[in-house]
Amino acid sequence: MEYIPLDFPFLAAALLVGVSFYIIIFKKNLIKLIMGVAMLAAGVNLFLVSLGYRAGGTAPIYTDVPEGPMVLSIPQALTLTSIVINVAVLALMLTMVIHIYRHTGSLDSEKSRKLKG
Amino acid sequence: MDTLITHSSILIIAIPLVTAFLIPLVGMTSKKARNALVIVSLAFVAFLVFALAKDIAINGIHIYTLGATSPDLTTPTGFMVPVRIILEVDGMSILMGIIWSIVSLAAAIFSLSHIASETGQNRFYTLLLLMVTGGFGMMFTSDLFNLFVFLEIASISGAALIAFRTKFADTQEGGFKYIVVSAIASLMVLFAIGLLYAQYNLLNIGALAQVIQYTTPDKIALALLLIAFTMKAGMVPLHLWFPDAYSVAPASITGMLVITSHACMYAAFRVCFTLYGGMLDAPVVGWILIVFGLLSMFVGVTMAVFQKDVMRFMSYHAISQLGYMWVGVGVGLAVLGNPELVATYGRDAISGGVFHILNHAMYKPLLFFTGGALFHRTGTRDLTKMGGLAHKMKWTTILYIIGTLSIAGIPPLNGFSSKILIYESVYQFHPILTITGIIVSILTLASFTKAFHSAFMGAELPEYKEVKEVPRSMIIAMVILAAGIVFITLFPSLIVNWTIHPAADALIDQGAYITAVTGAVP
Amino acid sequence: MTSILESGYAFWNPIIWIIAFVVVMVVVYFFRRRGQKTYKKDTAQTQIFLCGEEVPEAGQRHIRVGNIYWGFFETLKEYYNQVLRPHTGIINDYVLWFVAVTAVSAIILLIAGLAK
Repeated sequence: MEYIPLDFPFLAAALLVGVSFYIIIFKKNLIKLIMGVAMLAAGVNLFLVSLGYRAGGTAPIYTDVPEGPMVLSIPQALTLTSIVINVAVLALMLTMVIHIYRHTGSLDSEKSRKLKG
Repeated sequence: MDTLITHSSILIIAIPLVTAFLIPLVGMTSKKARNALVIVSLAFVAFLVFALAKDIAINGIHIYTLGATSPDLTTPTGFMVPVRIILEVDGMSILMGIIWSIVSLAAAIFSLSHIASETGQNRFYTLLLLMVTGGFGMMFTSDLFNLFVFLEIASISGAALIAFRTKFADTQEGGFKYIVVSAIASLMVLFAIGLLYAQYNLLNIGALAQVIQYTTPDKIALALLLIAFTMKAGMVPLHLWFPDAYSVAPASITGMLVITSHACMYAAFRVCFTLYGGMLDAPVVGWILIVFGLLSMFVGVTMAVFQKDVMRFMSYHAISQLGYMWVGVGVGLAVLGNPELVATYGRDAISGGVFHILNHAMYKPLLFFTGGALFHRTGTRDLTKMGGLAHKMKWTTILYIIGTLSIAGIPPLNGFSSKILIYESVYQFHPILTITGIIVSILTLASFTKAFHSAFMGAELPEYKEVKEVPRSMIIAMVILAAGIVFITLFPSLIVNWTIHPAADALIDQGAYITAVTGAVP
Repeated sequence: MTSILESGYAFWNPIIWIIAFVVVMVVVYFFRRRGQKTYKKDTAQTQIFLCGEEVPEAGQRHIRVGNIYWGFFETLKEYYNQVLRPHTGIINDYVLWFVAVTAVSAIILLIAGLAK
C-alpha cells in the first residue's frame, strides 16, 4: 500500500468531522442531527486510531517483541473507550427524540421546541 | 485512619460508584433502606473529603497512582514517563471536592421528598450517585483522558436526570439539548487530547506540562479545549442551551448541575494554568476570558430581568455569576507572566474568582431549591400565576431572602466578601470591569426583588388556600446550604486563609503540580 | 482574627457590620415604641384604603411579573430586540455559535503567536 500517502487517514477524519458539523448545523430533522453526532464520533475515533500508526509497524499484541517498530497501542485503547461512551450517548439521544415525538408530534427542530428566549 | 487518608481519593470516587449499583438491589427490598443507603454513603464521602482536606493543608499535594504497588509510585520501574492513571489532589481540587460533597448531600436530602411521588426512584438515585462519581472524578484526576471519561459520565447521567420526568414535554427537549451540546463538547475535548498525544505521547497533565512547547497544533488544541469547557460552563455566547436544560430539571438535579458547570470551569483553569502554564500567550487568553466574562455578566442579568419562569430566571443569574468568576480569574491569567503584578493584584483577583466559586456554590443551589419548593407546592414554575405565598411558606421565604441578599452582594453576607475581593483587584487592571460588575449587581438585586414580589408578597390568593409549607427534608437540605452561607459570612478570613489562598497558589504555581507527578525539578 | 478579610486596599469585618445593624435596629425599636399603641381590630382601620375607591379582590390587585419594571423594558426595547434574536431555542444555532467561537479564538491565538 505504498501509493496511499500517510496523511490520507487524517484527511478522511477531517472530512468526516467537517461533514458532520454541516449536518448538525444545517439539517432540521432531529434524527439527522443524531446521525451527525454519530458521524462526528466516527471522525474523532478515526483520528485517534490513525495517529498511532507507525509505518511498517507490527500489531501491538506480542509479548516477545519482534524486530522493528510497533504501532502505538494506547490510542487504540482510547478509541475503544470512546466508542463505548458514544454508544451510550446515542442511545440516550434516540430515547429523548422518541419522547419528543410522542409529546409534540413533530421531528423538526424548529417546530418541536417549546423553550425559547 | 492513616490508610483511610492514603486511599481516600480513590475511595471518594469508588464509594458512590459501587453504591450506585447497589441501589436497585437494596431498593427491591425496602424504600427506607435505599434512602438511608444514599444518605449514609454521601455523608461518609463528605467525611472523607474533609479528612483529605485537612491532610492536604498539613502535608501538601496528595498523589494516588492507580494500579501500582504503592500509591506514590508514579513512574513504574523500567518506564521513563508516568503511564498509569494518577489522581492528584491539590488546593484547588479539594476546594471543588468540598463544594461537591456538601451540595450533593443537600441535593440527595432534597430529593427524598421532591420526587417521592414519581415512579422509577431506584433509577433516579442510581443516576444521582453516578453523577456524584463523575463530578469527583473530574475534580481529582490528573490524566487528560480520565478527565474526558468522567466528563462523559457526569454529562450522560445529568442528561438522563434532566429528562427524568417523561410526562412533561419540555423536560425531554431540555435533556436532548443538554446531551447534544455535551456530546459535541466532549468529542472536541477528545480531538484536542488526540492532538496533544500525537505530539508528545503523554496523557498526564503534570508530565505534559513539563515537555509542552507551544506549537501550532497545541494552539488549536488550546482553543478546542478552552471553548469546549467554557461552553459546558455556560459562557456567553455559548450559553443558549443553559437555561433550556437547567430550568426543566428536578430542582435538586439543577443544584447539582450548576456544580458540574463549576467543575467544567475548573477543568478550563487546569488547562490554562497547569497544562500550558507559562508557555501560552497569557495576555491574549486572559483577555479572551475577560471579554467573554463581561458579556456573560451583562447578557445574563439583562435576560434574567425579563423572564417569567422562576427556574429559567435563576439559570440566567447562574450565567451572570459565572461571568464574575471568568473575569476574576481571567485578570489573574492576563498578568501571569509578570510576577510583580501577580503579587500586587493578580493573586487577589484569582482568589476573588475562586472565592466566588465557593460562595456561588452555596447560594445558587439554595435558590434553585426554593424554586423547586415553589414548584412542589403550586405545581407551576410560571411566576405570573403565583402570589402571596409568604403567608403559608414562611421557611421558604426566609431562605429565599438569604439567597437573594447573598447573590446581590449585600453586606454582610458571603456574596459581598467575594465581590469586594474581585472589584478591588480587578479595578487596578481596568476600571470598566469593576463598573460593569457593580451595575450587574444592582440589576441582580432588582430582578430578585421582582421575583420576590410576584411569588411571595401580596395578599393570599384563593387558588393557593391549601398550600402548606414544603416537607421537612426539603427544609433540612436548604438549611444545610444556608448554614454554609452563614458560616462563610461570619468567618471570611478563616475560609480565605485555609481554602482560597491555597487554591489560588496551586493555580499560579505550576511547578508544585509537576514535581508531585514526576518527582524531579521541572 | 478570623473575621477580618483583607483585600488590597482595605479590610472588611462582618462582625462590626452586624453590631452596627443591631444598634440601628434598637434605635428603630425605640422610635416605634413612641407611636400609636392601640388600634381596633376587625374594623375599617385594618383594611386597605384606596382613596375611597372599591378595592378589587386579591387575584385582581396582585401585580403580575409581566407588568413590573415596565419603564425599564420600554426604555431598553431596542436592546432587548437585539439580544433576543440569537435566543431562538433551535439547537442547530447552538452548534453554529460553538463552531464560530472556536474558529475565531483559534484564529486569534494563531495570529497572536505569529505576532510575537
